[in-house]
Amino acid sequence: MKRWLKNAYFLLALGSILLPLRASAMHIGEGFLPAGWSIAWGVVCLPFLIYGLVGMKKRIAATPKVKILLAMCGAFAFVLSALKIPSVTGSCSHPTGVGLGAVLFGPGITSVLGFIVLVFQALLLAHGGITTLGANTFSMAVAGPVAAWLVFKGLKKLKVSTPICVFAAACLGDLLTYVVTSIQLGVVYGGFGKFLGVFALTQIPLAIAEGLLTVVIFNILEKYSPQELRELSVL
Amino acid sequence: MGTDRYAYSSRLRRMNPAAKAILSLLALTLCLILGGIAPGVYTLIFMGCLTVLWGKIPFRVFLRFLLVPLTFLILGCLTIGIGLHPADTPVVAAIPVGGKLLGFTQGSILQMLSICSKSMGVVGAVYFLTLTTPMTDLTQGLTRLHIPGLLMELMELIYRFIFVLWETAGQIRTAQESRLGYRGFARSLRSLGMLASMVFLRAWKKADRVYCALESRGYTGTLKTLPEGYEKGNLCFLFAALVLAGQVFCYLWEVGIQ
Repeated sequence: MKRWLKNAYFLLALGSILLPLRASAMHIGEGFLPAGWSIAWGVVCLPFLIYGLVGMKKRIAATPKVKILLAMCGAFAFVLSALKIPSVTGSCSHPTGVGLGAVLFGPGITSVLGFIVLVFQALLLAHGGITTLGANTFSMAVAGPVAAWLVFKGLKKLKVSTPICVFAAACLGDLLTYVVTSIQLGVVYGGFGKFLGVFALTQIPLAIAEGLLTVVIFNILEKYSPQELRELSVL
Repeated sequence: MGTDRYAYSSRLRRMNPAAKAILSLLALTLCLILGGIAPGVYTLIFMGCLTVLWGKIPFRVFLRFLLVPLTFLILGCLTIGIGLHPADTPVVAAIPVGGKLLGFTQGSILQMLSICSKSMGVVGAVYFLTLTTPMTDLTQGLTRLHIPGLLMELMELIYRFIFVLWETAGQIRTAQESRLGYRGFARSLRSLGMLASMVFLRAWKKADRVYCALESRGYTGTLKTLPEGYEKGNLCFLFAALVLAGQVFCYLWEVGIQ
């Protein structure tokens, strides 16, 4: 009986430590990865960023206004990621905007805008870091958006209704971001399952909340500004 | 916002950003490569002293910023440190789970401390740069490093627009909160969705207007600004030498005593 109580206390204490920590748990912190891995993840991201930049350049050459629009979208992504999102369990976290960005702008542009947002978050807010910029870019600006975009396009092809497509894209993009983050940490420190367990526990409710939020945003945009959405698919 | 607010009031604000960046990046790189407890703690203390005493950032502010990365650090380190060990392993603190021990060994605690101090050392090195250098100086410095012009231009524009949209979002949020828009999960989700989509629409409209304003003033595709004049930052190189020597010394000392 006594041992059982002790265990319960230990778990309770652990839980109370872990719960408030989810706020910025999605970015790998500054200096957390060894130098080799920091550089390696940066190199992995480079082709995606170059692909995104080249795509942007083409569009800007066709219509110069796109540059200002893209900058506004980037600033929007930063502000969105700084908003507090309500979670099912009552505590708060921040949306990643992975799904919304991918659905609205496509993965190429999202990777570049996401990279810039991560730089600002690292420098201005100390979320994430300069040394882990590559790893964070890969998980949040490359892997997540690509997955979300594929899910969105795939479900659209299958004639699923738009809200469900958006929800699935945002939710799965969010989850994949955490899975990739766990892999990145697990590869270095071992115990990939441990990281996945901790993240899954704290992030699944958040992914669902973000999925719902993205649907709400998308519905309002569809209702009030079909014009802009049409421009976006051209953008 | 964030570190930028304090960077503008720092004493080192007018110093050449390249010199400050070199000092910060050298300290960061060596701290990351050497690892270990002593070099990390030394880097944190040295760069913290530089920021507070030389850069004239209030100590309280520096401490508050140090707390920001701690949340991830504690979560990450605990996850690394806690392991499932066979029943007869010498553990420091553990609870029995089905014939095995779940907890910390001496080795895992050392590893956690080492990761923690290394990480905090790097954080200290970065804070020296971000708490003394405004973002505009940094982006201007980066342009000279042959980073694609489009990327830098986007960064500068985004940086400017962040503050515009931030204000809009704040105003909407206040309006919603004063009408009890964030009571309960479903309602807060709806309010937040409305906020985000309205900010997006305003951003879109604002981009239209900004572009019109630019075009009517002869915008041809790029925004060019003149670099400011800076004070020389020779002292930075002296400090860089000091911090590097100290890091190597700490590393050797730590390796020696083990």
